[in-house]
Amino acid sequence: MGTILQFVVLGLGLGAIYIGLGTGLLLVHRATGIINFAQGAMAMWGAFVFAQLRLDGTLVFPIGSIELERRPPVAVAALIGLATAFLLGLLVHYVIFRPVRHAPVLAQVVVSVAVMITLQALVVLRFGPNNIDVDSLIPEDSFTLLGADIPTRELVMAAIMVLLAAAVWAYLRFTRAGVATRAASENERAAVLMGFSPDRLAAVAQVVAIMLGTVAVMLGSSLTGLNADNYTLLVVPALAVLLVARMESIAIVVVAALLMGAFQSLINLLITKPFWPQWAQSGLDQVVPFAVVMVILFVQGKRLPSRGSLQTVRLPDVSIPKFKPIPAVIMLVVGVAALSFTQGTWRFGVTTSIIVMLLALSYVVLTGYLGQISLAQGAFAGAAGFCLSKVTTNWGIPFPISLILCALVATGLGMLVALPAFRIRGAQLAIVTIAAALAIERFVFNNYTLSPPEGNPIADATLFGLNLGVREGRDLARISFSVMVLVIAAILVWMFIRVASGDTGRAFLAVRANERAAASSGIDVRKTKLIGFAISAFIAGIAGCLIGFSRGQLSAESFSVFAGLQVLAVAYLGGITSVGGAIVAGVLGPLGIVYTLLRGVFDLGEYYALISGLGLIITALLNPVGIAGATREQVAWVKRKLSRSGPPPSTVPEAPAPKEPSRV
Amino acid sequence: MSEPVSDKGLHTRDLTVRYGGLVANDSVTIDVEPGKVVGLIGPNGAGKTTFVDAVTGFTACEGEILLDGTRIDALPPHERRTAGLSRTWQSGELFGNLSVAENLLVAARAGGWRTLVRDIFVPRRKKSDDVVARALDVVGLGDVADTLARDLSLGQQKLVGVARALAGGAEVLLLDEPAAGLDSMESQSFAGRIRSIADSGPGVLLIDHDMSLVLGVCDTVTVLEFGKQIFTGTPAEARTDPTVVAAYLGAPVEATHA
Repeated sequence: MGTILQFVVLGLGLGAIYIGLGTGLLLVHRATGIINFAQGAMAMWGAFVFAQLRLDGTLVFPIGSIELERRPPVAVAALIGLATAFLLGLLVHYVIFRPVRHAPVLAQVVVSVAVMITLQALVVLRFGPNNIDVDSLIPEDSFTLLGADIPTRELVMAAIMVLLAAAVWAYLRFTRAGVATRAASENERAAVLMGFSPDRLAAVAQVVAIMLGTVAVMLGSSLTGLNADNYTLLVVPALAVLLVARMESIAIVVVAALLMGAFQSLINLLITKPFWPQWAQSGLDQVVPFAVVMVILFVQGKRLPSRGSLQTVRLPDVSIPKFKPIPAVIMLVVGVAALSFTQGTWRFGVTTSIIVMLLALSYVVLTGYLGQISLAQGAFAGAAGFCLSKVTTNWGIPFPISLILCALVATGLGMLVALPAFRIRGAQLAIVTIAAALAIERFVFNNYTLSPPEGNPIADATLFGLNLGVREGRDLARISFSVMVLVIAAILVWMFIRVASGDTGRAFLAVRANERAAASSGIDVRKTKLIGFAISAFIAGIAGCLIGFSRGQLSAESFSVFAGLQVLAVAYLGGITSVGGAIVAGVLGPLGIVYTLLRGVFDLGEYYALISGLGLIITALLNPVGIAGATREQVAWVKRKLSRSGPPPSTVPEAPAPKEPSRV
Repeated sequence: MSEPVSDKGLHTRDLTVRYGGLVANDSVTIDVEPGKVVGLIGPNGAGKTTFVDAVTGFTACEGEILLDGTRIDALPPHERRTAGLSRTWQSGELFGNLSVAENLLVAARAGGWRTLVRDIFVPRRKKSDDVVARALDVVGLGDVADTLARDLSLGQQKLVGVARALAGGAEVLLLDEPAAGLDSMESQSFAGRIRSIADSGPGVLLIDHDMSLVLGVCDTVTVLEFGKQIFTGTPAEARTDPTVVAAYLGAPVEATHA
């Protein structure tokens, strides 16, 4: 009994952090309608500044730093940390979130994910990838109750965060500005009528939210030390808490946050018991938020409030692809040439680009065509990759059956994740999928019983006696392996074009445009989503297997949540709606051609994650059709210019263009 | 209220829709037989669109809905559509980023796993169907087949909505204010098109605010007020029925559309 109480109290420390992040999420959602996936990443920056100041007196800025002569006192360091958070909140609001306040949910999710990976990358660059140990702000003491040592630190932390959350509640409840913020979440005009600028209210909310989170992270950083990945991903349980509170009630956020922390802590007690199976020990606490999210969404589903505001910006347009033999042959020749004229790391870069192109293509199917958001594509790829390790080394199943079998496993997983998409969409689906991805990463990929720490070897592929292995002696990337990747990619792209230009692709686009109208036209919306997730996960699964073959073994890092989000970043950057976009994404993608260039020629490899995050922010804000889409628009404009010297494109898009050839 | 001569077409029995405490449709019983045009009129908020939503499966309801003698009230919307019950939307609800012809093809060709396999291995060579051309012809919009749906005027979008409801075959059409964006000339010719649709087989339920259109083209008219069915009869009876005049028309119709 005493031990249980002790673990519950220990969990309250984590719960206090969830209060900070969850209340912030609620406030930002109330004021802007945006679900900010970057809440954890934003909150940790100020805490890192604070921790570094206390550690060695260095004041770290995003660029440059100042070495102070003495370590500043705790209060000064904390004030500087909070001031940084304040400025970051203003910056993120005015530069990033404000411009997308009327954008489609997809763009909002992508923007906040972009902020998340950018800040995570920046923290790793500026503060290093390792844990920073932090002394506790609160005196570490304990008392004895029921024969167990009960720490006071966690209790005090929880009390402070409850008080701060109560202050936010009072702001929303009793001040005119707070009432206007609540009104704005129903209808922005209501806030205007009360004499407030919804925009100013949103800025206030954003700043209060980030400072609340920063306080929570500062207090909590002594629990396990500061770590960029962990604190960025603490947003996932906080999102689960937000859903439990139906995005409305701060009181429920507080209670649910404390319960979540306590429960996760109890699970850590449970798995140490001898009766608990060893295979279910790792990452079980991360399964909790996922389970909570699933239950809430299935119970409440459509009744969760969503903000009623007009969307003034359309989703990026899709042009139905057509198989054109000449460009296809040119692409293949370019691909083969790129592989033959390179070697070593460069050929490996080109090969990786082709694989990342496939991952991006899986986003094109799901997000570009079907309009569904998934942050779990990396997990689909990883599931297939890990399956490949078992299938090739334990069972000896030959290539290419092994490849298809494992891609089908990913397909099954994808269809499972599609089930919540029957009831929810948009940002809520993003929450489910990122929670699923995190649960899979921690529970499966990082699980030593399922995935041994010494690695998951994958046997080289052979076909009719031809060795398709990636390495031989000092050759890092054999040409036969690279050509195999190219051929598989070409087949998948060709199949994608057939599906996208066929009845299935049209049904996808109909569902994306308008689910009600699609249903009233006889389309089974659920089945269509299931098919979309299946195709997308299949492609991601093949890509995951190819990543596996290219490494010869698999480690969890290849398929972490962040790796998956980085692919989303380049997929969106390239253009989420077309094969061309996927190809651009491949070139830009992690460990691909541009990365090899950055690392090999400019020695900037460590900045890759930061650059891709910033690139995604800029794309999402300025150019939602991506690089490929913008290029296509410009080419179309030049063609029009040449054919009839028409008006510039700013006036053209409204008028139908009868001269363009029929796409039907 | 006349007893149906056959169980062909659409029949609702005591269809009731409740939103919380509000009764949006109170025991509405309507028969739309093949070849007949039935008008559904009533002031704003009378529950006309709610009725269409309930019949097509977009709103939960009590009571019976029969299509060609079969209960369909348990079916999801897309299955009611494939069973032959087709609707349009008050606000058009076209697939804006698809061309007009593609909008119709969505309705004409069902998706599914089998379609997926066929798309990959034996894609259709012929991209456009006669079905599309015929449906567009019925609404007189053959020349905009390749235009993006969102580039059309609202009036044209609603007509495309009618064509989309026709594409792929329909036993009964439920048209929710299809003529709201048309001028009086276009409205006149639209009346003729509705008549010819009905003459070619399907039953039509027509909601519209244009009284001359509704009373001119319909075989029978049902009037809703606050969710209650206050009148069902011929247009001629409706013009003189005191309850209808009081509730909706305000004055005898002859005077209003002169």
